[in-house]
Amino acid sequence: MSDHFPSATPTAQPSPSRHTAEPSPYRHAAEPSPYRHAARNEVESQHQARSCDCAQDDGGWTAQDGGSAFARARLDQCLKCTICEASCPVAAVTPLFPGPKFVGPQAERFRNGESVDHSIDYCSSCGTCTLVCPQGVKVAELNSQARAVMKADHMPLRDKLISQTTLMGQVMTPVAPIANAALAFQPVRVVVEKTVGIHRHAPMPRANSQTFEAWFRRHRRAYPVTRPKPVLFFHGCAGEYFEVATSKMSVQVLEYLGYEVIVPHHGCCGLAQQSNGLFREASAAVLKLCDQLRSAGEDLTIVSSSGSCTGMLKHEAHEIMGVDDDRLRDVAVRTRDIMEFLRDMHDAGELPLDFKAINMTVAYHAPCQLKSQGMGYPATDVLGLIPELKVVESGFACCGIAGTYGLKAEKYDIAQAVGHPLFEMVRATNPKLALCDTETCRWQISQSSGVPTRHPIAMVHRAYGL
Amino acid sequence: MKRIVVVGAGLAGLVTSTALAKDGFDVTCVAFGVGGLPLSPDVVESAPSSCAERSVVAGSELAHPYAAIGSDAIQTGLELLLELAGSDLLTGGPETSVMLPTALGGWRPACLYPPSMAAGASDGPAVIVGLRGLRDFYPGLIAGNWGGRAAMVDVAPRTGEATSSPLVFARFFDTDEGRRALVKALRPVVQNGETVGLPAVLGLDDVNAWRKIEDALGQPVFEIPMAPPSVPGWRLNNALVSAAQAAGVRFRRGVKAIGVQQADGRATGLVVASAGHPTTLPADAVVLASGGLKSGGIVMGDHQQFHEPVMGLPLANVPEAPFVADVFAPQPAYLVGVRVDEAMHPLDSDGNIVCSNVHAVGGLLGGSDRSRELTSGGIDVGSAVAAAEAIGGELA
Repeated sequence: MSDHFPSATPTAQPSPSRHTAEPSPYRHAAEPSPYRHAARNEVESQHQARSCDCAQDDGGWTAQDGGSAFARARLDQCLKCTICEASCPVAAVTPLFPGPKFVGPQAERFRNGESVDHSIDYCSSCGTCTLVCPQGVKVAELNSQARAVMKADHMPLRDKLISQTTLMGQVMTPVAPIANAALAFQPVRVVVEKTVGIHRHAPMPRANSQTFEAWFRRHRRAYPVTRPKPVLFFHGCAGEYFEVATSKMSVQVLEYLGYEVIVPHHGCCGLAQQSNGLFREASAAVLKLCDQLRSAGEDLTIVSSSGSCTGMLKHEAHEIMGVDDDRLRDVAVRTRDIMEFLRDMHDAGELPLDFKAINMTVAYHAPCQLKSQGMGYPATDVLGLIPELKVVESGFACCGIAGTYGLKAEKYDIAQAVGHPLFEMVRATNPKLALCDTETCRWQISQSSGVPTRHPIAMVHRAYGL
Repeated sequence: MKRIVVVGAGLAGLVTSTALAKDGFDVTCVAFGVGGLPLSPDVVESAPSSCAERSVVAGSELAHPYAAIGSDAIQTGLELLLELAGSDLLTGGPETSVMLPTALGGWRPACLYPPSMAAGASDGPAVIVGLRGLRDFYPGLIAGNWGGRAAMVDVAPRTGEATSSPLVFARFFDTDEGRRALVKALRPVVQNGETVGLPAVLGLDDVNAWRKIEDALGQPVFEIPMAPPSVPGWRLNNALVSAAQAAGVRFRRGVKAIGVQQADGRATGLVVASAGHPTTLPADAVVLASGGLKSGGIVMGDHQQFHEPVMGLPLANVPEAPFVADVFAPQPAYLVGVRVDEAMHPLDSDGNIVCSNVHAVGGLLGGSDRSRELTSGGIDVGSAVAAAEAIGGELA
């Protein structure tokens, strides 16, 4: 988890008087051993040395060192207990992926700058393996790093294209109706599949004619500011171009709660590039984003309704790509998912409970990248406060899409098989509405189950009568 | 509603969480990963009647945990576990003691055990059948030690791989197609009157898959536990997690507990390392079900210094030399743990309560070599009930 951040409150350190023996001279269990520290420091200093030579501010990633040395240092914690193998949603549905332990901690022992196992390309990076590991092995992070090294010298054009999320938004927004029609037109999609390798049935975002920032500049708040400190809203690229309604509702809820909302102009966190192994580009994107977010004030809470982008800021950029930068650390500790933010308000007794009843039963799917942030299920906690609303948590690990994995022609069938039980459950629970916190997962669930899927903030927005 | 935070989602943590939620508390169960159940063969070994009055284990400065827990709590705990798991997953009772075959063909006593393993306790002719492509199950070894004939059959759960994981086999036997294939393969090798021993992969989600196979075959079938992944352990884990969720327990997985927030000698919250920033979960009581030395609830440092990492609880039985060279001899390190009173409050070496609303259960308790004694299940469920009853009394 967040081992590189200053850990917690003074209570985290045991007080000497509580020891039976003399005061412990030993480190906190969560700290890496001196050996691992040394290894990490060495790589960090290499990073720093390199970043001086780099024209681009990208953390100096090279294919030789993969990414975070910390993740690699956790390798020896693996006991081969197989809990990750048993929990992997991809290995359960295809023999093409031999499982996270096999391509992760096991194969990693044989890697020395070279790729030893190409089946790792079939890992979807959903992160379930890291989440379930009782030993703290960063299995998914190791796999993402090894895949980036494997793909470094022959990155498919398709993977470079589909990770250009901001560019997609910029191109599609001015011609939204035409772009949407073209992406819904099967002959076009067949050509795209044959030439680029994006599956003809894969879910595609729908463009909006107006960006979120354009709306935000013109909108007028309907409720007075009652809270002493503003919050900063991080929309992400999907929230700017495609999921504009989710961003708008989030801002309206925050304003209803009495917050002044600040939105500095900002771009993409680089998550799609990271998950496709484009670590250099993704590192540059995430640091640029940190600069943009920090420009609006360095002590404000950053709230976002893009559940996977918050994960990128909180831990993935550091733990997967090894980005080690004070700007990222500063942004990471201040970032909150919007449902987490509301749940924290409720825990502190500050969330108004003037919810109107919503008489409905609805399926909620907690995305894998939300679960890996270790915040439990804030959406079900908050939605549980709305009278008469019954929220049924799906209980499934992953919807299959895993960012851009399920778009790819050769992986589409696997992604559909992973998500199949979820799609059935969603349809059986309520054929008119389902809830999920992250964009590509909503597109996947909507397209594959036929059930319109929205962010849980939509229910809060409605229950507050906004 | 009073808020309880339970650290750990193994047998002790799940039973404690569910018992408290059933009593009306708002319970959050915090876990670093999946708990230990998927690694267990899914039997509670020791009948409490044989060991509720356990004496002090050699080398321990503490009484055995059973002394503080008491036989009533153990009995209640076993009955609660039977209820939560359901009769499809566990059978037996507090007074039961049967002997079941192990993966090496040895005998293992069982008090609560899956019905799918029950026929392993019966006498009479048996055939132990392995599945080609399933690793780590050797019918010849089992039959040679335990008795009966050995045989192998071919049942490929999916094409495209030479060997498949036990989970792949188990999911295949969840389907009609998979069960038909197995029964068809078994018919030629099974003789009339034989009981059929199979690796414990007979269905994962369908807990009655083994019965359907038995009915189709027309002869008694039993499962023999394997090395991890333990399919019966996953079944029990999934059932207990579902029971906890049904009782209202909220799970927060993927986080490490890193501290207990205290004020005026009482715990007010549990601090966890969530992504990006630590989070404090408000609590009116905290239960540590974080396990012993094998589970990270007790940590041994590079210089063999023992430490309880969440709040630095005092540890008893800290040895000069934690391990002895003979791997089959009792290891002093396994006796290390927390001393508790009858409410499962951790005590310091003078017998004073460390923090009045913190409780310790399960593998964290010192004075027992659980695996060797076969008391781990009894300690887990008994201490869970004792802690839940104490919290119910204290916070009522």
